Amino acid sequence: MRAFRIAFLLAVFATLLVLPRFVSSYKLLTYTTVLCLAIMAQGWNFIGGYTGYAAFGNVAYFGIGAYTTGLLMISKWHISFFPALAAGALLSACVATLLGVPILRLKGHYFAIATLGVAEAFREIAGAWDRVTEGATGIDLPLRSDSAFYYYTALGFVVFGVALTALLAKSKLGYGWVAIREDQDAAKMLGINTTMFKVAAYALSAVFASIAGSIIAYQNIHVAPNDFFKIEYTLQMIIACVIGGTGSVWGPLLGAAVYQLLSTFVWSHFIELHPTVLGGIIVFFVVFLPRGLMELLRRFAAVLKGGRFGSDVFLANIRASRLD
Amino acid sequence: MSGAELAQIAVNAVLLSGILALVALGFSLVWGIMNIVNLTHGAFIVMGAYLTYGMHELWHVDPFLSVPVSMAVLFCFGFAIQRVLINQVIRAPLLATFLLTFGLEILIVNLLNFFFKADTRSVMTLYSGSGFTVGSVRVPYIRLGALGVSILLVLMLGAFLTKSRLGRAIRGTGMDIDAARLTGVKAPAIYALTFGIGAALAGAAGSLLSMVVPFDPNLGGGYTERAFVICVIGGLGNVVNVLIGAAVYAVVEVFVGSRVPALSGAVTFGMLVLLLIARPQGIAGKSAS
Repeated sequence: MRAFRIAFLLAVFATLLVLPRFVSSYKLLTYTTVLCLAIMAQGWNFIGGYTGYAAFGNVAYFGIGAYTTGLLMISKWHISFFPALAAGALLSACVATLLGVPILRLKGHYFAIATLGVAEAFREIAGAWDRVTEGATGIDLPLRSDSAFYYYTALGFVVFGVALTALLAKSKLGYGWVAIREDQDAAKMLGINTTMFKVAAYALSAVFASIAGSIIAYQNIHVAPNDFFKIEYTLQMIIACVIGGTGSVWGPLLGAAVYQLLSTFVWSHFIELHPTVLGGIIVFFVVFLPRGLMELLRRFAAVLKGGRFGSDVFLANIRASRLD
Repeated sequence: MSGAELAQIAVNAVLLSGILALVALGFSLVWGIMNIVNLTHGAFIVMGAYLTYGMHELWHVDPFLSVPVSMAVLFCFGFAIQRVLINQVIRAPLLATFLLTFGLEILIVNLLNFFFKADTRSVMTLYSGSGFTVGSVRVPYIRLGALGVSILLVLMLGAFLTKSRLGRAIRGTGMDIDAARLTGVKAPAIYALTFGIGAALAGAAGSLLSMVVPFDPNLGGGYTERAFVICVIGGLGNVVNVLIGAAVYAVVEVFVGSRVPALSGAVTFGMLVLLLIARPQGIAGKSAS
């Protein structure tokens, strides 16, 4: 079983590695976008999945990463891409830490809306701060016509994200996050510094969003407030996590891939009803499969080991959380 | 700023606060009683607007007369949604209802876009655009009428919640659902009723808004945000809190909108975040969490 899993993952990884040789460079741009979605979803997973805080404004850090990278690259120092990306990630981490300390004191809906408000505020600031960001027109980045570069950069960060998630999930930090998610007061009683743990999760999610923003900005060579601070990105990362399975190592990755497949399918078949189908998918997963596709995989794995699949897979959530 | 300008700003704020209070009323009720931030609220508002528009276009129904109709339709719709969907996950972690109502919002708004297209519509009557002036301050009839209907509905809801048996059952369920059930309250039915009333009030707000502002299917999202801000400012608990929240918010929106329009969202949300941090229970309210 274990050998099978490792072989499967290696096969997938090898396919991803050689993919740029076989597809057109236009197609490759789409794949890079999916990988960036996976990076953002991995980031959101730390705060939303493991720690259980419904952050609805991570697009703020996506935008900060994009703008920082762009502005540094076109500045008079002509900083190259990777240092600019690192600077964006660092700035995002600092902003997230400064904002996180007060905001993470809020609970539930209040936290969700406060983060949403932060993202909106950043969008307006980017649009109004003409001297630096060129306002609504946006800034242009240097052109680089090598689409495999973006792809491999994104793939590298996805692999890094998986490794980091797997490492942290089994660390004191990861267990602390889960404890906070399950019962914050109890976690505090156990001596967990809840503020520090929550801020760490939030800052980490900001770093990942920022990295994805930098890559997309460099690939699109144009950064404008309404393209890079739009709430759709926040939604996509949350939906990807929910589809795959929140609070799991592979969930965000699986979810990003499945989301993109579904999205492409829906676009090509019912173009006008695309959001309707998307809304329907969200409703379906929230009601019937809140632990995502990873739950299905776990059950298949159990069957392979000789266990039972369980007939209640789609109804377990309803049984547990409906009000009779 | 001259005195006349200030007076006009004040009057505009008062007229706006009535509709905003109605916008936030149903949202506040559902949040306070069921602990659900109903992101579908904006879609209900838009549905109310289209119902009024449709009745006016097809049968020339006066928009004020169509308010009860859209309330009835949206009550049934909200009741059904709570019964069939939301009730299934109501005890799941908070993200579930948040995402569920959000998914419904996307779905409904897109379906409205599909059937009505994104064209901007407005309901025009013979008395649209006319009004009276006091000194240099202009008061449009429609906005005054909308304010009247809003106040009426706020008072009716307040009376219903405090005086009637059913209203007291709703408040009791909101205070302590287990205790309410021990006294024989059927909680799922009460929840469905509450959600239905919330949707009906959104429908009324939509009907009134259709006369006041041009609208398209995407109008609702902004009003869900406003409803949230108003609830945070006023706090949850009773209808007076909503009125206070709406009044404060209307003053800020009208004032900031006339001074720094480009940053109105950032100012509003900045205020919101500061308020959340300093006083999460709102200016006038008790803690809800």
